[in-house]
Amino acid sequence: MPVPPRVTLMLEAAHEKLMVYLRDGRTLIGILRSVDQFANLVLHRTIERIHVGNHYGDIERGVFVIRGENVVLLGEVDESKDTSHLLKKVGIEEILEAQRVEQERVQEQEQLRAKFMKERGLQYTAEIGTDDMY
Amino acid sequence: MLPLSLLKTAQNHPMLVELKNGETYNGNLVSCDNWMNINLKDVICTSRGLHSDHFFKNADWNIASTNSKVANPPAKMVGLMEHDIINIMCGLKAARELLLPKGQRGTTGHSGFGGRGRGGPPGNRGGMGGPPKWGGNMKKKQQQQ
Repeated sequence: MPVPPRVTLMLEAAHEKLMVYLRDGRTLIGILRSVDQFANLVLHRTIERIHVGNHYGDIERGVFVIRGENVVLLGEVDESKDTSHLLKKVGIEEILEAQRVEQERVQEQEQLRAKFMKERGLQYTAEIGTDDMY
Repeated sequence: MLPLSLLKTAQNHPMLVELKNGETYNGNLVSCDNWMNINLKDVICTSRGLHSDHFFKNADWNIASTNSKVANPPAKMVGLMEHDIINIMCGLKAARELLLPKGQRGTTGHSGFGGRGRGGPPGNRGGMGGPPKWGGNMKKKQQQQ
């Protein structure tokens, strides 16, 4: 069976460190071990990176088998690029707390927006929800 | 090794499966089929996000493939996969050879074919009546054999 070109290109990235962005908004960084025709991925030594503002935190996850339809995009990580002056790494607890605060703030804003529109007789629906970034 | 093969070899191992709605199912993998339907045993079910402190303990769960997002098998599973990566890379090199114009084949070296210990990509056999590029590849193969 001929291998589709898209998957052939992904096979070239085997053993490379990749950043994978999922539909639920999560960022995973890991070494790609294998791919199949649906672009299901096997990632090794994966970390989940949470970004809030210009801070980030990493959570160790191990091996991931990702179902291909949940991936928005993926790309190789260039380790030679130095971003330490742009982003600051913090501990896991701190970043999770920051993420929770940020989510609450966004939710409040959305509720305010919905209320504002409702008062003027319009229905507000968010174009991009937090559940599906596809 | 394909992602599905990894899941199949992970049978009877503990695994975490996360669904598209964010619920996580922690249990032992009983079986996995070709469509990635997953069967788990002795499952602890947790919901992600706001209610992550609520959990349920249940016996068996069957997760439909279209509902699953990510599976977290134990890290030792990858050790079983390493020798298969070599086969994948050889196959990739062979596939790239086929895409080259007739004159440039063979210049990329023989390791792509020799490494796998097989006769080369299956599509070449018996295809003498086909377009010229197939005939060119057959000649190259005969040189090695």
